Amino acid sequence: MIQYIVRRVLWMIALLFLVSAITFFIFYALPSADPAVLRAGKSPNPQLVEQIRHQLGLDKPLYEQYFDYMKNLLTKGDFGYSYQNNISVRTQIFQRLPATISLAVGAAILWLTVGILVGIISSTRPRSLIDRVSMGGALIAISAPVYFLGLVVLYLFADDIGLIKLFPGAGSYVPLSQDAGQWFGSLIMPWCVLAAAFAAFYARLLRSQMIDTMHEDYIRTARAKGLSERTVIFHHGVRAAITPIVTAAGLDIGVLLGGAILTETVFNIPGVGRLAYDSIINSDLPMIQGTVLLGAFFIVTANLIVDVAYAFVDPRVRY
Amino acid sequence: MRKSLATLVPLLTVLALAVGACGGGNDNNNASGGNQKGGAAPNTGQTGKKGGTLTVLSLGDVDSLDPGYWYYQYDYMALGLPAQRELYSWKPQDNFVTPDIAVAAPQVSDGGKTLTIKIKPNIRYSPPLQNRMVKSADIKYAIERAFLPQVGNGYVGSYYTSIEGVKDYQDGKAKEISGIQTPDDTTLVLKLTAPSGVLATGVALALPATIPVPKDYAQKYDEAKQSTYGEHQVFTGPYMIPNDASGKLTGYTSGKNITLVRNPSWDAKTDFRPAYLDKVIFSGGNDITVGSRKILSGQSLLSGDFAAPPTTLLKQMVTQYKSQTSILPSQSIRFIALNTKVKPFDNINVRKAVGAVVNREALRTTRGGPAIGVVATHFIPPGMPGFDDAGGNAGPSGLDWNSKPAGDLQLAMNYMKKAGYSSGKYSGPPVLMVGDNQPPASKTGEALQAQLESLGFKLNYRQVQHPTMLSKFCGVPKAAVAICPNLGWGKDFFDSQSMIDPIFNGKNIAPVNNANYAQVDDPAFNKAMDSATQLTDAAERATAWADIDKQVTQGAYIIPWLWDNQVNFASKNVNGVVNKFNSSWDIAFTSLK
Repeated sequence: MIQYIVRRVLWMIALLFLVSAITFFIFYALPSADPAVLRAGKSPNPQLVEQIRHQLGLDKPLYEQYFDYMKNLLTKGDFGYSYQNNISVRTQIFQRLPATISLAVGAAILWLTVGILVGIISSTRPRSLIDRVSMGGALIAISAPVYFLGLVVLYLFADDIGLIKLFPGAGSYVPLSQDAGQWFGSLIMPWCVLAAAFAAFYARLLRSQMIDTMHEDYIRTARAKGLSERTVIFHHGVRAAITPIVTAAGLDIGVLLGGAILTETVFNIPGVGRLAYDSIINSDLPMIQGTVLLGAFFIVTANLIVDVAYAFVDPRVRY
Repeated sequence: MRKSLATLVPLLTVLALAVGACGGGNDNNNASGGNQKGGAAPNTGQTGKKGGTLTVLSLGDVDSLDPGYWYYQYDYMALGLPAQRELYSWKPQDNFVTPDIAVAAPQVSDGGKTLTIKIKPNIRYSPPLQNRMVKSADIKYAIERAFLPQVGNGYVGSYYTSIEGVKDYQDGKAKEISGIQTPDDTTLVLKLTAPSGVLATGVALALPATIPVPKDYAQKYDEAKQSTYGEHQVFTGPYMIPNDASGKLTGYTSGKNITLVRNPSWDAKTDFRPAYLDKVIFSGGNDITVGSRKILSGQSLLSGDFAAPPTTLLKQMVTQYKSQTSILPSQSIRFIALNTKVKPFDNINVRKAVGAVVNREALRTTRGGPAIGVVATHFIPPGMPGFDDAGGNAGPSGLDWNSKPAGDLQLAMNYMKKAGYSSGKYSGPPVLMVGDNQPPASKTGEALQAQLESLGFKLNYRQVQHPTMLSKFCGVPKAAVAICPNLGWGKDFFDSQSMIDPIFNGKNIAPVNNANYAQVDDPAFNKAMDSATQLTDAAERATAWADIDKQVTQGAYIIPWLWDNQVNFASKNVNGVVNKFNSSWDIAFTSLK
């Protein structure tokens, strides 16, 4: 197992290198905006643009620029400075990461809890009223765009613009370290909105897996042995059916840790997703690199954790 | 404050240039501009209640913390006007400058080639330099550093290059600009190679490049690859961003918020700003729909860089929230550029045909209809000096192709026949048009596409992000883009040089970041513009630039289609004051009720 983990970590590092190189070269291959021109403001003379190009090292060959970037990253942990506002990329990412983690992890807990519960209940009572209502609700939740759902929830329940003033509205997020109560309150609606579609998808996924699993021979054997239905479902049914959920959850959480742009936008949560989006719009290469690398890091790490977790969740899997 | 309008619209950008709207929707309301429509009566801010905390909701952030970089609307609103002081500044209701750090208007001598400016002796910096007075040498350094690539100023190359010694300084041959002299701590002398109207009248000296920067404090931050002085700046205005003992700002989080508190070094006796509020928080990252609703229904909130509220809300604003809304012409224009170096637009009759076929009202509809501004007929917008002389709302007389706001296909076909297209329709190869890929600008491009196709044009139409459109296509002559439909321009100050010269002077054609999109290079125009630039009398300048505007319109190099309005709105308990110079709220004059 240790050998396997070491091998996967090495692959992870190679993959991050690859992602950084691809991001870097795509930026120049596609007709994105010229960073020197953007940095120079709207009406600089050509001399200033060239001076800025030189100052930022943008007049060097691409491979040299990439080498310089990676050297600074690996030796000093320096992601560079934003072309947009001159502020350290690392500082900006780390300022925003806690908000994104708060949002993603909280939503994940919510959607796993709801999704798994609904999936189990629906699968154990297929075609019942509760199953049909649950699956119908899931279909609606999957179909509702996050942006739309976010606005609806705010107009209904936000304490500033809502009809029923229940929860803190957009822009109320504060860090956990500053005020735990307000942190929790401000994230209730974002968690629900972000978790809705995921919970619905997971419920449907688990339901179909469980229905298949509950018809397996070993389930019949377990029942024949006289085990309670609860034990049959949770110890034998769920345990076997849940592996696809673990895979999906790992990847989904990894992706969201790289930023949940729409939810962050609607609820004005200063997370990494907004930062990434803005950096793309502004052709801010150092920031694009930083946020893409961060997203890639979370995804490959989540993948690794999922693969390792497999071994524990499903005894049939061993490395 | 020159700005490319469409940049601002996508969520970021956004710096907001006016789009906005409303109030009656009568196109003729805007004659000479500056009138407030639809909303509350103009508020001068001469009286107000002291104290309180105000929150400004915005989409994005300031472009930079560095005063040497500030150029855009939100930079001025958040920091330039409330937290710093320039040599000259703008009172909310005025379209002329008021001495700020300066004692009086520049003394002009030597045939306009020497400007002497006395500065107030008793203006102090914010902590940690609270014991230090502003000196003329600090303004000299501020102007010098604005030329540094690590600061990246976007306008000194346009307005300050007539100062002696600038070229040597830029080329690295001199360590200082010889034409900026400081005979004593309260006197600044600018020696010019030629008279400059924008410097002599003080309008260009009201730009943030004259915000004093103490050299011995700032130089270490300016030596980096990109200056970090902005994160350590000291303030001269009534407000400041909180900082620590070393001067590092602690009240700023990129993209999230800027906090302004009272500057303990500020002395009200030296300033014309009343500065009623105790604290101001600029909160970024808001969704425009949610943010707009919060402002209208909440307390102590103000709109920041919201270029245009959503259409449904806009309707409510002019009815339900009229007293909370201010709508003003923003002295900016949207236009279509026809590249005179690309066939068939090297032919004036083809350009006139395009001018005739374009349905400007339909283009305006793509941005929200009559509410968002007035159909433009020439380049100088309402409220700017020279607007009336250049033709007012109707535009220059005798230009039939320019007088059909709904377009006239038959007239356009007549011009195409004059251009040599016997059928009255274009029959050549496809032409390249590059526009924005984000609505509403993308909708404008698509509407124009349909209109041009009715005249037989086959378009190779590419839609890209706005910054890409400018920096890789429309602003790059080598890209040979024939039509750019999503261009805009706003004033830098109340002087029409800032509108006309960058767009139409042939000497401004540059290989990159070219703002002369149509590549107009007429020696007669260039000469007229160079002469107008040197006029030092404001009235003479207005007339001269209006004459040039008429000639530019006659050449049909660009098709103007909209003079924007700016919509600003506030919570009910806010006594908001709009500064006409910036077309946005002036925090230093705004108070709570």
